[in-house]
Amino acid sequence: MSRRIFAVLLLAGLTTGCAHPGGRASGSPFCEWLGSCPHAWELPPPAAEDRPVVDPARLHRSRLPNGLEVVILEDRRLPQLDLGLAVRRGGALVPLEKAGLASFTAELMERGAGERSALELAAVVDSLGGSLSVGADWDAVTVVVGGLSRDRDTLFDVLADVVLRPRFDGDEVERVRAEQLAGLEKSREDPDTLASWSFAAALYEGHAYGLPRAGTPETVAGLDADAARAFHGQVFVPGNAVFFAAGDVEAETLEARVAEAFGSWAEGPTPEPGPEPPLRRERQIVVVDRPDLGQAQVVIGHAGIARNETRRIPVQVMNTVLGSAGFSSRLMGKIRAEEGLTYGIWSRFVGRRQRGPFAVGTFTRVPELGRLVSLTLAELARIREQPPTAQELAAAKSLLAGRFALGLETSAAVVSALVDLDVHALPADSLDTYRGRIRALTEEQVAAAARDFVRPDEAAIVVVGPADAVVPQLEPFGEVRIVQP
Amino acid sequence: MTWWGRRGRTALWALALVLGQVQAAAADGGATPEFEDPAARLQSTELDNGLVVLTLEDHSTPVVSFQIWVDVGSGDEARFTGLAHLFEHMMFRGSKHLEPEAHQRLLEQRGARLNAFTSRDVTVYFADVTRENLPLVIELEAERLRFLDVGEDSLKSERQVVIEERRLRTEDNPEGRLFEQLMALVFQAHPYRVPTIGWRSDLEKMGVPECREFFDQYYAANNLVVSVVGDFDTRETLEQIRRHLGPLRTRENVPRNPQTEPEQRGERRAVVHYDVRAPILAMAWHAPPTGHADGEALDVMSTILSSGRTSRLYRRMVHEEPLALGASASYWELERAGVLYAFSSLRPGVSIDQAEAVFLEELERLRREPPTPEELEKAKRRLEVGLIDGQGTSHAIASRLGRDWLAFGRVRPLAERLAAIQRVTREDVRRVAQTYLQAAKRTVLHMVPAPEEGS
Repeated sequence: MSRRIFAVLLLAGLTTGCAHPGGRASGSPFCEWLGSCPHAWELPPPAAEDRPVVDPARLHRSRLPNGLEVVILEDRRLPQLDLGLAVRRGGALVPLEKAGLASFTAELMERGAGERSALELAAVVDSLGGSLSVGADWDAVTVVVGGLSRDRDTLFDVLADVVLRPRFDGDEVERVRAEQLAGLEKSREDPDTLASWSFAAALYEGHAYGLPRAGTPETVAGLDADAARAFHGQVFVPGNAVFFAAGDVEAETLEARVAEAFGSWAEGPTPEPGPEPPLRRERQIVVVDRPDLGQAQVVIGHAGIARNETRRIPVQVMNTVLGSAGFSSRLMGKIRAEEGLTYGIWSRFVGRRQRGPFAVGTFTRVPELGRLVSLTLAELARIREQPPTAQELAAAKSLLAGRFALGLETSAAVVSALVDLDVHALPADSLDTYRGRIRALTEEQVAAAARDFVRPDEAAIVVVGPADAVVPQLEPFGEVRIVQP
Repeated sequence: MTWWGRRGRTALWALALVLGQVQAAAADGGATPEFEDPAARLQSTELDNGLVVLTLEDHSTPVVSFQIWVDVGSGDEARFTGLAHLFEHMMFRGSKHLEPEAHQRLLEQRGARLNAFTSRDVTVYFADVTRENLPLVIELEAERLRFLDVGEDSLKSERQVVIEERRLRTEDNPEGRLFEQLMALVFQAHPYRVPTIGWRSDLEKMGVPECREFFDQYYAANNLVVSVVGDFDTRETLEQIRRHLGPLRTRENVPRNPQTEPEQRGERRAVVHYDVRAPILAMAWHAPPTGHADGEALDVMSTILSSGRTSRLYRRMVHEEPLALGASASYWELERAGVLYAFSSLRPGVSIDQAEAVFLEELERLRREPPTPEELEKAKRRLEVGLIDGQGTSHAIASRLGRDWLAFGRVRPLAERLAAIQRVTREDVRRVAQTYLQAAKRTVLHMVPAPEEGS
């Protein structure tokens, strides 16, 4: 009896307390006892704490007289260290007949530098349990060495050698070329890779973006040491480069070493970025014939935006609603959850120095292909006609703010994001302003992004699968071109 | 929601390598670098219903990882293969108060990274979030653990999703198919012979009663471990966990599938036809389960064989003779048995028999003579660096806690693991090579294109 009265008394005072979005209150023991607690998912999301991404006390930026930028993020929690150097040009600079040269050069830089042959260099890195990688993408070539901080001197020497004194030894050139050719051959087995190659060719024929970054068998066969040396000389100049470090290191000491090792690096002209890609506006349908496949791999899309597009944030938010919010995206909701046509479907705007692709990727059972393509195109049209609602927009904003924090958990990830900003000449404080810019977006800005950057009528449709079964399903969308893998 | 395919399993193994089994010595003879083992501050709490909660508060990271490790994997399946994994999918298909996929959607909308995976031994659900979203994660987990609703319709559609997933990762993927065939040949009796994703005909048959029974049998408080690492308040969070997961039921006699493998007597060999341009050579041997005293020596051995450009297999098959695109050897340590396996993707046009002969020659050399002191130290150092790298995120540390707790009933300190790796000698490496890499106990698989009709 007394218990019940107590309950009634509490009810009046505490249910509002339970509904308070303060996190703790949702689990107040009183409302639990009363059985009247709202579930956490019925409450509005609690506000995220806007803590700074980059701790200014740990971040050290400087610049050498020859133009080399230096970014160091100290992090003493674990005895490990990453050191690297990136140049702000990559595969997009390579002429078509030398496609694959940036990857070829990057790979060769790992294969011998300074006094050390390929195996000697690998032996030093292996003996430290460390790592050395040189990677080329369209807009940058990046060298990274990693290991324990007690080996920092050796790691630094390896980095300096690889950046400044790669050897391009003849036997390594032969080996890397053969490996790259074999790798291309092997990649042709992979339906996903085949689809992305054909998609790139459809969008960007005649431009560097139109060929695989690793080149083609014809172009790679013609690559040699001279070409690699020339490409290295062209892009590895101090005014075009940023040195970076993350981990257990003292910034001042490291800055002194950088000045010593890279201070005399001869200046050179920063290469012009390559030409703008053409903008193709007609529908193309390409089938890569793979009679052995039980399911069809699909890419649908067209040219999208540059990495530094001023409206990239509204585009990103719009695309989150469309196909980049996992189960919450419109494409997943329609094609997977409602229609059961696929295990996964995503859409993406790939930001490059010049207009990168906008692509929707998925796969399905061969007999369902026609329906999948038709429903996907309909969703692209719908995001223009029925732009994200206030509710969808709020969800996308909260998603991006949370995902952003998760992506920057380690110091290495933060530095890599800072270098990416540098490569694309974006403001250095972009990480700290990101959440604010997301929050400030309006429905109208996002609707305009959909209207301006999604164009289903111009989308190329690329399918890898058995042509016999696939082609008849695609003919209703236009003329189909069949290519061999 | 993903099944960890071969690639995933390798990743899981790599995690085990980094976190579980492997320690390393300082190569220069110096001491292991001074740093605090994050797990040293671990607090473990057992609720009245038997639920174990492992908490590790760390405000130097903006992320908190919440993981539920269920002590059930495909190795526990007795009748329908693929049940543990299909059931993992069903955990996202709605409960008393939430419709299908709502769990996933609610967390995704907060930017959470969430997923689940199933292996031979365990099923794991995780969500990595920023701290203000942790109460939601806890309530959502409690909701499905207490009130899961397995219905005919959702099972029907999820079964289709899994069959699609199987097609993608196994049937249309050369490495996936090869790994499935390899395990089916290595084990005859042991439930590890079965692919975690299940055989297709089983997937097509199992129904709602099997799922419900599975839930009753394995998803009980005393068969779960919760691991929470990162940016949260321990007292507050334990209070929430008590409130929401405290009511979970306890179950006595969780059923197990105790078949063991009879000793292999003689080499097993098979050819798998697949439309590959680059043939794949695969080999496997039986090895001890996780926690065995030979584990560290086996890790050192596989590192010497295939880790880095100066490793033996890389040097011989990729660098010196242009036979392969790559070669890898791994010790896959599971709770009830282990497997040593090695793969090599050959260059198009290379004879697979020739490549196999070279491959075996390298293994024989390891059985004949111990590795050089430099090779030993290099391998130990690599394992040590891997171990330290594995402490870099809340997620990785939470996984370390959960895995260790289920496998060993405790979290092994880094110092202990470093010491164990430090103890490995050159002679140990030769001994484990002799013990485990026997010709009569190996399984060899060739994946090559089918010969032309009539030839």
